[in-house]
Amino acid sequence: MSADRETNQTMTDRDIALLLADAADEVEIGIAPYQAVIRGGRRRRARRWALATATALVIVGTSGGLALAGLRGGDGGEVTPAVTQRSTQPSTPEERHVYTPQETMLAAGTEQGETWYVTVDVWGAPRTEAEAAAQLRSMSSRHEEPWDKDNASALVGKITYFVRRSFGSGDPAFLMGNSVSKQDAMVGTDLQSAATPLDPKKTDGPLPLVVGHVAKTAQEVTCTWKDGSSTVARRVAAGADINSDEAAIRPAAGSPDNWFVCVAPAGTAYESAEVTK
Amino acid sequence: MGDRKEARETRDDAFQSFVIGRWPRLMRTAFLLTGEQHAAEDLVQSTLEQTFVAWRKVGSADDPEAYVRRVMINAHARKHRRRLKEFLAPKDDSGLVREVADTGDRIAQAEDRSALLQALAQLPPRQREAVVLRYWEDLTETQVAQAMGCSVGAVKSNAAKGIAKLRAIPGLAEMVTHGGRK
Repeated sequence: MSADRETNQTMTDRDIALLLADAADEVEIGIAPYQAVIRGGRRRRARRWALATATALVIVGTSGGLALAGLRGGDGGEVTPAVTQRSTQPSTPEERHVYTPQETMLAAGTEQGETWYVTVDVWGAPRTEAEAAAQLRSMSSRHEEPWDKDNASALVGKITYFVRRSFGSGDPAFLMGNSVSKQDAMVGTDLQSAATPLDPKKTDGPLPLVVGHVAKTAQEVTCTWKDGSSTVARRVAAGADINSDEAAIRPAAGSPDNWFVCVAPAGTAYESAEVTK
Repeated sequence: MGDRKEARETRDDAFQSFVIGRWPRLMRTAFLLTGEQHAAEDLVQSTLEQTFVAWRKVGSADDPEAYVRRVMINAHARKHRRRLKEFLAPKDDSGLVREVADTGDRIAQAEDRSALLQALAQLPPRQREAVVLRYWEDLTETQVAQAMGCSVGAVKSNAAKGIAKLRAIPGLAEMVTHGGRK
């Protein structure tokens, strides 16, 4: 037994090793589910960590590599491309929210007597690997983990967001997240959304909650439900009231995109979502 | 283009061999870590899915097993961070000894394997991981430290505490005696 290699083990340790081997034999080995592993692996690779518990993900249009001119900041003002903005940007990581995210509530409501709400945490872009490593530690302390949590350098130059849904007294559940550079900001009719149950325990049920992000210029998102009806989310200003009866597109602090939430009427569920204006 | 396709097929074949070849051992390790059949299957499948994603890098590494172990231990630890309790494990570090005093008769009556699994499940997760990797996986303390992402000292400490608690179980001593291993 090589368990004896490094320390002076007793006979009892050897016995425990044998007992563990006996106990391990109790498991039914079965056939390796190779195809299931491949399917699961491909799913993980495709969505990376962009989507965790949500059960439907929609990406419409293209984003990335497009001009920054014309994007609007969270306060509604024009966003100047980074190259000319550098001198006015906050310089310390704290000012850039690298170690503490900016949290914005996107929607809230009540379902069967339980309160639910959706929030997005946006972490500022670290500029160096050291800042990124420290950011990862801060994320970990908030139970937020990016996909490539062992690779701090992958976060450099990117904001990272985590969208979470809380329901009742349960812990917040991660819905979607990503690390994106400024070039990845949504433009035109780009849309990325996730549909999920309101109650996390009802994983096999319909998906009435739709959360997504769109370009700052998008004025209207239409969520269409399975019964053919639809809900229109319209753009509101930062800080506008959160009202569960009214779907809205709103800015989130630190995010280059605007965010929307739609909730399906009782008895129906998510079918599609698109930018309609 | 053809070369690339061929390389991918070769990689896929290598991964398939890896999955099929390692499945039994990974299942046993996961079973000792989780104490439950389905949880073990989930843990191994999830571990292999993550391995698949990184297979291009992992498959060409000197020791893919080390990567897989690290992923599995991370997944196990993460699950514990989220759920705190997995199956039978009490939260406090001294739970096992207290538990044995309270339920000594029941453990003594239980089957050998079940008793050991139950005792193992009552260890705090880090101690359980250290004991399983050290004494079942038969890894060196250095390898265990790599898998657990901690120092060799922490491995020694966790393994020693875990083993001490297992030794303290009266039923375990009987198991060994009756099993003729002494």
